[in-house]
Amino acid sequence: MLKNIQEWLLMLAIFGVTALLGNWIGYDVIVWEAVPGMLVLIGICLVGLILGKVLPGSIPSVAYVALVGVLVSMPWIPGSSFIVETTSEVNLLALTTPILAYAGIAIGRSWADFVKLGWRSIVVAMCVMLGTYIGSALIAEVILRFQGII
Amino acid sequence: MKQELTNLWKDWRLHTIVLAIVLLTETIGTHSFTVGPGVVLLLPMLYAIIIGLGLFFTPLIKEKQSKNAEPLIVLGVTLLIAKIGVIIGPSLPQIIEAGPALLLQEFGNLGTIFIALPVAIMLGLKRESIGMTHSVAREPNVGLIMDKYGFNSPEGRGVMAIYIFGTVFGAVFMGLISGFLATLTPLNPLSFAMASGIGSGSMMAAASGSLVAAFPQMENDILAFAGASNLLSLSTGLYMSIFIGLPLTEKLYDIMTRRKSTSSRVEKGA
Repeated sequence: MLKNIQEWLLMLAIFGVTALLGNWIGYDVIVWEAVPGMLVLIGICLVGLILGKVLPGSIPSVAYVALVGVLVSMPWIPGSSFIVETTSEVNLLALTTPILAYAGIAIGRSWADFVKLGWRSIVVAMCVMLGTYIGSALIAEVILRFQGII
Repeated sequence: MKQELTNLWKDWRLHTIVLAIVLLTETIGTHSFTVGPGVVLLLPMLYAIIIGLGLFFTPLIKEKQSKNAEPLIVLGVTLLIAKIGVIIGPSLPQIIEAGPALLLQEFGNLGTIFIALPVAIMLGLKRESIGMTHSVAREPNVGLIMDKYGFNSPEGRGVMAIYIFGTVFGAVFMGLISGFLATLTPLNPLSFAMASGIGSGSMMAAASGSLVAAFPQMENDILAFAGASNLLSLSTGLYMSIFIGLPLTEKLYDIMTRRKSTSSRVEKGA
């Protein structure tokens, strides 16, 4: 368990450093101003990951991470304003760039399978994604308008 | 296991390359161009995935780095989920208020059947089209199809094809179309934000990231709705496929192929 925590911490730290540098270059947030926010986020991840490991049941760790994140930032929780303010310095897009950089490197191994697909599969795949995206957006639009939210 | 993980954070070649990619792509920054009335956004994350893929084919990246990258994606997504969690928290009252829309738009994921199934059949695909179009083909859906039809079935090949496309190009594709559709159509960005949560962390990040870049003043609402919708999709996606998506696809497939074969028989007869 202790070994696990150590590994998670190290890898989150490596990822965090990369994201903070991207956050600085891409979104003009000076590195040390975003450090507290990154530490808070890493803390939330660790608590969620540990809960996922310790608690029984097959609920994935990310669900606990999301839950912890939501709980500590709810307006009626004392100290939530600190969490919200510090983490707002860490830009979401600064986190996604390194994720997709790692993803690009990882999917190289799926490339051979990809070229075998053929054009018909690719056309259908695009329709699949377009379909779910537009379908969901249309329903959301209708309901949100009906409720008068937008 | 210990050996494996210890090597993971010691893979400085991998982390240095990723850092270099991030610094390069963030320096290039966001660019956009217009296509008709819509805007196509080119974000650093899109260059990052393409550069990463390109580097895989150079001697810089070896099989080992590519393997080691996978757990880093998982941890990166965990960090992203934590960030989305702290965006959802303060917006919880709005999210509860938008609860009905959030829940019902999950049914929009069935839109894939109505749009993609006719196309697949038109292109001459047979039972592959059932595996291809019953859902967005993420891990739980692949598992369902394999369980029901087997790995070597036409349905299994179909779902794998979409899964592979989604893995390789899902994020790029979603990133490009989400900003484009949101600027092209009269639909509200918040509706698209909810639609961005399709049950894949990287696709959600790309789609909602593009929306934020197009509508920066709505950043928190977009991310909160996208994040909440993604969590909902992750938890309901499989059941949606089991009880509605797959039976509906089977039924529509039967209807469409029967009509097709009767009409061709009529043509031959005439």
